[in-house]
Amino acid sequence: MNNVVTARKQWVGLLKTLVVVAASVFAFSGAAQAEESEFSIVVSVQNQTIDDGVATKNPVVGVSISVTTATGSAVGEGITDASGIVTIFVPSKDSYLVNIDLATLPDGITLIDENKTQAIIERDSFTTNAKRVTFFAGSSTATGAPLFDRVVQRLVDGIRLGLIIAICSVGLSLIFGTTGLTNFAHGEMVTFGGLIAFWLNVLLGVPLLIAAPLVIALGGVFGLAMNAIIFAKLRKRGIGLISQLVVSVGLSIMLRNMYLYQFGGRTRPLDDFSLQVAKSFGPVSITMRDLTTAIISLIALVAVALYLQKSRTGKAIRAVSDNPNLASSTGIDTQKIIRIVWFAGGALAAMGGLFRGLDEQVGFEMGSGLIFLMFAGITLGGLGSAYGALVGGFLVGILVELASLVVPAELKNAPALFILIIVLVVRPQGILGRKQRVG
Amino acid sequence: MDIIKILENTLSALFGIDAAYFALAAIGLNIQFGYTGLLNFGQAAFMACGAYGFGMTSQYFGVGMWWGILIGLVFVVILGLLVGIPTLRLRADYLAIVTIAAAEIVRLVVRSVEFKKYFGGSDGINSFSKSFRDLSPFDPAGKYGIRPFQYSGYSFWTIIVGWSLVALFSFMVYMLMKSPWGRVVKAIREDEDAVRSLGKNVYSYKMQSLIIGGVIGMFSGMIFALDRGSVQPDNYSRDVTFYVLTALVLGGVAKVRGSVVGPMMFWAIYVFSDNFLRELTKDKPFEIFGFGLIQKSQVGPVNYMLIGLGLMLLMTFRPQGVFGSKEEMALDGR
Repeated sequence: MNNVVTARKQWVGLLKTLVVVAASVFAFSGAAQAEESEFSIVVSVQNQTIDDGVATKNPVVGVSISVTTATGSAVGEGITDASGIVTIFVPSKDSYLVNIDLATLPDGITLIDENKTQAIIERDSFTTNAKRVTFFAGSSTATGAPLFDRVVQRLVDGIRLGLIIAICSVGLSLIFGTTGLTNFAHGEMVTFGGLIAFWLNVLLGVPLLIAAPLVIALGGVFGLAMNAIIFAKLRKRGIGLISQLVVSVGLSIMLRNMYLYQFGGRTRPLDDFSLQVAKSFGPVSITMRDLTTAIISLIALVAVALYLQKSRTGKAIRAVSDNPNLASSTGIDTQKIIRIVWFAGGALAAMGGLFRGLDEQVGFEMGSGLIFLMFAGITLGGLGSAYGALVGGFLVGILVELASLVVPAELKNAPALFILIIVLVVRPQGILGRKQRVG
Repeated sequence: MDIIKILENTLSALFGIDAAYFALAAIGLNIQFGYTGLLNFGQAAFMACGAYGFGMTSQYFGVGMWWGILIGLVFVVILGLLVGIPTLRLRADYLAIVTIAAAEIVRLVVRSVEFKKYFGGSDGINSFSKSFRDLSPFDPAGKYGIRPFQYSGYSFWTIIVGWSLVALFSFMVYMLMKSPWGRVVKAIREDEDAVRSLGKNVYSYKMQSLIIGGVIGMFSGMIFALDRGSVQPDNYSRDVTFYVLTALVLGGVAKVRGSVVGPMMFWAIYVFSDNFLRELTKDKPFEIFGFGLIQKSQVGPVNYMLIGLGLMLLMTFRPQGVFGSKEEMALDGR
């Protein structure tokens, strides 16, 4: 996707396609965004050493870096400072070549990939005015780490992934429970969170800590809108669940391509907290950012569980999940409960998208890549069961990461399919689901 | 704007190879989704079985191309059993979840570096279609047909073979659905429990339907691979299934003519919209009131957005498509 429009134009376009959601907020900030004239390339040289499977990164000082245009004429050069970083200003957003001078590397330090002394920067990879490039020195492969440490590291990664999957899939499961809809567009709700976070943080420069609550709230509104504009109407028309499912597939295709239309096909990092140094705790290395998101996820999940267990609304949600007709006849406003579930589901999905965007990067397919893990999770936990999604998503994350010890990385989602199949053969109602008649 | 050219391309797409392979995939999906009520969201994986059946003859086995049909059949049966055994006893949406997952995994496996030896990785496989080319009675350099339905020699050959297969399978499905077997699967769609109470083995019928539909899907993948002369993993992404589904719903579910005419209309509309938007944005972005609405590079996503929207609108306002009957589209699945 060779998208040469400037970021600003793209996001003014978003304004048009997503008017449904908080049109006023969008319009305001879209116009307020200013173009800056200073562009720079931020080059970072890091020496990565691995002891007992723990990667530590140290800045490399005094390396000379030069930037040339794509045709080879010099643009600027500089020498890395104490934090291993050098900022080189460039005249415009354009394609550049960044070269590292190997001779200036300190003795005993080599690039991990010796052939990669040059980084190519595409014109449209300037998401902000400062484009980051990192060169890694030192040895990269973690083969030396003992098996136990690798397992522990994977376990920790798995817990993080599991928490994100659990957060994202709570809504999927609750929506299924209360309305019977298998929502294939739920992945796009996750992506929505990531993209809104990108829009606020990178394009408007709102600090992420302020942007985060906004992202979550807008995610909830997005969920509400999806219900109000589409699925509530379908229920009213008495359209069958299978047809609703197919509609959600159409919605997923439409939204995903809307994102692609706006955002382009590349993945991009958020601005805040994107450069982090991993800290070591025994055999485990984790960045403070990842630790924080994991803790927040955990708190959110516990809060959701407590809410469902203790609060009046939570009990009503579980009642509707259990038997909508019975719940309705006891005086519970089912439509209101369904709206609450869509709002909460959308908000949690957006939060998951935000964390996923911090963890990996933001891209138009980030949610649709997760949906299949979410389905595996809620099936494992019990389709429609309120707590099933929490437990199942969590377990799937751990299993997928642990599996990558034996399965090649590109196939690491494959074990989720086998989990899915085994669960359906052995215990189709899932861990926490209620046994139903199975024909 | 070159209206004549756009219209010519649109008409030509009605009978083009894309419509033919979509029609084959849709005929297969129609058996599963339309007649039996199975939500197979992994038709792309069955198509990949066919394409890779051909591809592996040259890539791995080193045997003649025609063995590919046999290899493809083996793949289809394995895949059908893999997704069918755990799900066909359960509610309809489990099959949807498992097939979509399976299709994604199939794509990841065939494009992986790990299995490059067998499937050619993300580059795919190229050299397998010689036997088929040699059979072509047409001059590869020549032009056949009358404008706008004019195709080069080799395309003409695949188009003829493709549409012959469409005719063959259409006839087969038509007869099949008039047979006792067809009546049983349609009854399963309407009321599974009733069929079971008549002593029929519902599970077995569903499995047969899944695999028969998969086999027809396999031929779709084969025609596509033969036309392109190559097998590429990313041609079998999960969205392909949904486009086929859209085409099928457009034509009319549970109708043989719906599964043939639907893909033709789908491609005509797609080609028209694609050509039109490309012409519109050829020189400068399409603008309304000064807003750059569509750039040249955004034509692709806009088209697919329209497909998604089309699927939603069809399912909501005209689930029976052009030829279908509303009674046969009253799927509930619970």
